[in-house]
Order: sequence, then structure tokens, then C-alpha cells
Amino acid sequence: MADATTRFFEDLDHRGYDPLLAKLSGTLRFDLHEGPQTMHWLVRIERGEIQVSRQDMEADTVIGTSPAMFEELVTGRENGLAALLRGDMTVTGDARLIVQLERIFPGPPYTEGPRRYRKEVR
Amino acid sequence: MAPSHTVRILDGNTFVVSEATGDIEATPTEPTGLFSIDTRFLSKWVLTVNGERLNALSYDDLQYYESRFFLVPGLATHYVDAKLSIIRERAVGGSFRESITILNHDEKAVDLEIRMEAAADFADLFEVKDEILNKKGEVYAEADADQLRLGYRRGNFRRETLISSSEPARYDRNGFSYTVHLEPNEQWDTNIDVHTQALGPGGRDLRIGLRVHGTERLALQHDLEEWIAKAPKVNSEHDQVAATYRQCIVDLAALRFAPLSLGGQTLPAAGLPWFMTMFGRDSILTCLQTLPFTPELSATTLRILGALQGTRFDDFREEDPGRILHEMRYGESAAFEEQPHSPYYGSVDATPLFVVLLDEYERWSGDAALVKELEQECRRALRWIDDYADLVGNGYIWYERRNTDTGLENQCWKDSWDSISYADGALPPFPRATCEVQGYAYDAKVRAARLAREFWDDPGYADQLEREAAELKERFNRDWWVADRGFYALALDPDGRQCDVLSSNIGHLLWSGIVADDRAEQIAAHLVGDRLFTGWGVRTLAEGEVRYNPIGYHNGTVWPFDTSFCAWGLRRYGFAEEAATVANGILEAARYFDGRLPEAFGGYPREQTKFPVEYPTACSPQAWSTGAPLLLLRTMLGLEPHEGHLAVEPRLPVGMGRIEVLDIPGRWGRVDAFARGRLDLHKLAE
Repeated sequence: MADATTRFFEDLDHRGYDPLLAKLSGTLRFDLHEGPQTMHWLVRIERGEIQVSRQDMEADTVIGTSPAMFEELVTGRENGLAALLRGDMTVTGDARLIVQLERIFPGPPYTEGPRRYRKEVR
Repeated sequence: MAPSHTVRILDGNTFVVSEATGDIEATPTEPTGLFSIDTRFLSKWVLTVNGERLNALSYDDLQYYESRFFLVPGLATHYVDAKLSIIRERAVGGSFRESITILNHDEKAVDLEIRMEAAADFADLFEVKDEILNKKGEVYAEADADQLRLGYRRGNFRRETLISSSEPARYDRNGFSYTVHLEPNEQWDTNIDVHTQALGPGGRDLRIGLRVHGTERLALQHDLEEWIAKAPKVNSEHDQVAATYRQCIVDLAALRFAPLSLGGQTLPAAGLPWFMTMFGRDSILTCLQTLPFTPELSATTLRILGALQGTRFDDFREEDPGRILHEMRYGESAAFEEQPHSPYYGSVDATPLFVVLLDEYERWSGDAALVKELEQECRRALRWIDDYADLVGNGYIWYERRNTDTGLENQCWKDSWDSISYADGALPPFPRATCEVQGYAYDAKVRAARLAREFWDDPGYADQLEREAAELKERFNRDWWVADRGFYALALDPDGRQCDVLSSNIGHLLWSGIVADDRAEQIAAHLVGDRLFTGWGVRTLAEGEVRYNPIGYHNGTVWPFDTSFCAWGLRRYGFAEEAATVANGILEAARYFDGRLPEAFGGYPREQTKFPVEYPTACSPQAWSTGAPLLLLRTMLGLEPHEGHLAVEPRLPVGMGRIEVLDIPGRWGRVDAFARGRLDLHKLAE
């Protein structure tokens, strides 16, 4: 079940605006292929304003991957750029858009971030 | 002439390294090959005629993207009685093309069996110095009637080399052959095309749509001519200076990332950097060096690094919100996360330097729009300094890698494992803080305060930044000063203990302006003193320190880029003669490398070796070494943007004679600068 994927897109739609995308305008279509079925998500960005729909229409950038892989990506368990280099996610059209949108995917779930130095721990 | 017997040509991140015959036979010690997107697409490329290897009479690097080899059959040890000559001409530009011409000088007809052995191991750039034994995927070769396909497949990851020829050839899995009959004085030609592919599942190349200049020879030539025409002209009485400058401009053209050849500033987010290798630190420092000559590089670099600025925490990639990337790679090891370069953020200097470059760029270009465009990126970078880099909580930038397998231990420019030590030679624990990075942070805050006041309409933020900068300077001068030896410590350990060795890093402190005025003279004296200055440049670590070694990568060699920033720092604090002294040393060293300075050379005293000894595995051409002569010219000529015009205040050594730099671009349009050598540097040494 692609629950995290649906939550990701719905959250994106509700958010309406993301400052990290403020320089971005264009449309991205995500084609999530599974067997003969393909689910579509269309993301329109207009200088950071975001609209999400399930339309299957022409877009500046088309991203293709499996629902399972996309689920991993939007939960931070997989990294978008590595998946693109590996061929597990494909892109046609304006690659700039997905490279920028990927920046708002979450980081890995078990990451700690910077570790403060505490003398007594050593 | 290449320093070793290897010939290199390149275009963006596609390059060929071969033997002097043009052959490629990759081994771990001689990592030759055709490389693109961090992958080796040819590891064997050996030409024979009637089963015999060929011998090089000569070769030329015609341009950075093309070379030519003149060959005869037989090995060098034999008497060369050439009845046959073979000319190989090759170029890179997207793909790799080679033309072979064979001329029969004999009075008799000849029958020739011409053979090219071809193979590809698809090694990741990070593997090429090892034996390639256990590739996780499958290597394949398919010979068709009209082409040879060499491939590598691992899951959906596919890389292929397609080889075809204009003259009909017989292809097999190990290469291709021709049978040729040549009458007296007849000649035979063929054009071979080697096409590299990075394929996704649909068979589409990942790089489609990313080419920014034509890949044909003429397009490359046109692009280079345009680049040279756009750069300022340097004329010098001492012809070496002008020749070095010209070499640097050409090498800079070769080292440009593909999107930069768009011509830069007119296209926003100038084609995101899929297929070029970026280093945050190297790109920024090179831009700072070259700003007076090729300012468009800075605008593009700032935009691209800003676009890939960190947004989340990721321990594997050492990403944090606001952090500027360290390195981006596109090979198998990045794709399968065996290396963290997708991208990797493990450097602590790129982030403050990003802010420094934006301000310096505006001072030259007057490009207020870019300063406004990158306001949020700048604020995020400054927040990273305060919120995420201060691991000890005492107001400095620290580092300790979170990726303990493949991350970098030392996240400053001296990034080898043993570069940071105490005076007794012991290595300090982590986290560590190095001095020059604190200088960059100080400079970033001072400069960002100007940007906030003049462009972001936020005087409150400007005041805050200035206050923080002043506090940092005071704190730094208290905690890092090694009072009994009269210099700043290289680093601090987390308990505040000083790594009290004398190093070139103190020159960067002058450049950043964090040095207290009453201490600047002592610092300047060290930089031109015998322990640091070799006569050619400034040693990374002073002679006499426990870990000093004249060929220690960061423990005693001279890095031209490093010395160029020391010179800039000296000039900033008014030590014009000292600046000219070290600048002159590097420019004279450049003569021994035909104007192409290597990454590093030995820290031996100049009078001992008489010539600069190249560091054994130094990279060349390397961007920030290429930038060094340009920054040194700026420093010696005293070029400085000042209230909307370009101030020129030359301080040149006598031997340098007259120098003119014509058409320096900037907010003033284009202006010329003239200078004449008047400084007697020998008086300084006394």
C-alpha cells in the first residue's frame, strides 16, 4: 500500500507553499508503474506555490519509478539522487525540477544530526 | 609536454588519459582510460599493425580537447626504419572520436592487418587505483556487423560503450580489425566513434537534454575562442607572466563544468549539474581567485551550490540544513551508496565561503539581483554556522564526521588524515576546529552584514552580524594565539588545547581579516620567514615541526592556491612587499611547469633544488592551481573594487618589468590596469 506516497502528496498540496521551492516554476508528473497499472501524480509549482492533482497530462518533467521505490523515497529510506543515478527512478524533460523537488523529501528516519560534544561521555 | 608519459585531454567530466602512443592499458599504477561521469568506459585501447605495437615519434596536445600522435611500427628499442607512418588524432566532446591515418612511404605495395584491442572494465573513479576484481554487476560485450558494444549492468544501472568505424571493420568481442592494401604513397583513413551511454530502464540516457554546448570539434573550438576573447588580455615585458596567464585561461576553459559554458549569468539556475563533478570548496576558492578575469563563473557556481544547499539531516551524506555541499559524483559507488557523494556535505569551510564569494562577487560585478536572489540561501548558511557547526558550544565551527565508514575525518581543506596535529606530533581527538575556518566565518558575517544593510533592507540583522563578528574576533584572538611563539594555533581540540604548530593557515587568517592589527606584522614575518617560505611558496607546515616533511601532502608541500591566498592576506594588511615576494615565487615556479601549476610541489628550499619538485601524484591541471596566478596578478597589481570603480595600486618586484591587464570586467564596464616593477625584493630578505 502506497500510504506514505498519498500522505506525501496530500501534505504537499495542503502546505500550498514551500520556501525551498520559491525559485521554481514548472510541472512534474510522477508515473508510478506497477505491472499494467500506472498511478499518476501531477505537481504544479509556481514560484513555490504548489498544487497537486492526480491528472495524467503533459508535464515539463516526467518521473518514472515503482510505487514501492517511491514509498521509500518519501519516507527518507532511499535517497532521490542516488536512485536516479542507479536507474531506479528515471527522469525525462527538465531534470532541474526533480533535483529541486527532491530537496524537500525527508532525510533518513534514523539519522541523528550533529552530535554535541559532551566531555563526560568520552 | 606532459610531466609523465601520459597524455590527457578533457571536456567537462569526459576525459582520456593515455600513453604517449595513444594506447590505453589500464593498471592500478597507470590508471589510463576513457572516463565520463566518473566511470571508465575504455580500459584497453591498443592499436597494432600486422601484430606489432607502435612507437611514438611525437605527440601534440593541440587543444585541451584534442591531441595527435605520430607513430611508426616497432618498439623504440629497434632501429626505426619507417616505411609506414601512422597518425592518430583524437578529440573528446561528449563522445570520444579518433581518426587513424596510415601512409605507405615504401616503393612497394603493402598488405596490412590493422587491429584495435578494446575493452572496458567500467571501474568507478574510486576504484581505478585498485585491482578491479569483484564488480558486483555483469560485464558484457556484443559484436555486431557494424559496431562493438561493451556494457555493464547492475540492477537498473547500465553503462555502455559503443564503438563504430567509418571504414568497414570486423568486430569481435575483444576489438575490431581491418585488412588494408596500400599502393606506394597511398594513404588510408578511418574515423572511429566511441560513444558512452548512461542508460536508465527505458534505454534513455540520463544525460539527455543536459548538453549545453555542441560536442562537435568546431563547436568546441568556437566555445574556446569566445572564452579567450572575453577574458582580459595580459601583456608583460617578462613574457613568462603573459604566457602563464594565457595557459591559465585555457585551462580554466577546460575545467569548466558543462553548465558554465552556457555563458553563465543570463540563465537562472544554469542547468542543474547532473553531470559534472563539483567540489564546494574548490569551486568557490577558484571563483574567488578568478573574479577579476572570469566573473561569470562565480554567478553560476553560487546558483548551483545554492540550489543544492542542504535541507535535512542525513548522517551518511553529513547533510544539515543550510550546509553547502562538498562533493558530487555520478558513478556506481555514489549510485549504490558505497560512497556518500550524492552529494556529500562533509566540509566545514564551503558554507562560510559561499557567503564570502557572494559578497566579493557583488563588489566586482554590481549584480544586486543575485544578492537578492540568494538572500535565503545566505541566511540559511549563516544559521548553519551558528546552529549546527558549533559542536562544542563555544562559538566556533567544529567538525566530527557522522559517516564513520566513508566520511572525511578532516573536513577542512587539509583533508588528509594526519594534517592536524599538536606540536609533539600527536593527533588531537574530535571534534576539531581549524583556525582558517573561523576566519572564514568571521569574514562571512562581516560581509553578510554589508549585504543585509545594502540589499536586504535588514539593518537589524546587519547590526547583529557585526556584533557577532566582533565577538568572534575577540574570542579567537584570545583562544588561538600561541603567545610564546607568536602565531595562531592550527587548530583546537574540544577541550580547548591548541594544536600549536606553525602552518600556512595563518595566511588565510590575514585574508579573512580576523587577525588583530598589532599581531599582523608577526604573522607576515612568519609567512616570508625561512620556516614557512621556501623561495617558491609557503609550506603547508613549517620546517622544524615534528610532522614536517617536504613531500608530506599537507605537512610541508607548497600548494600554489594556498600561497595565493596568503599573498592576498598579506596585501590586505598592507604588507605589499611580502605579498609580492610570495607571488613572485609562485609565478617563477610556474615557468617550470609551462605555466600549468600542479596541485602541490615539494617544500624543499629553493636554493637546494633550484627547481620546484612536483609532488608525486599531484593533479594537473587543477582548478585552484590554475586560479593561483590570476589571484597573484590581482594581488600584485592591487586591483580592488572601490566605490564603484576599480582601484589599481601596483606593487611589483623589479624583475617583473611592465605588466598591463586590459579590459578588466566589472561594474565599471571594462578598464585597463598598468604596472611596473619597482620593488627590490632582495632588500626584504636581509
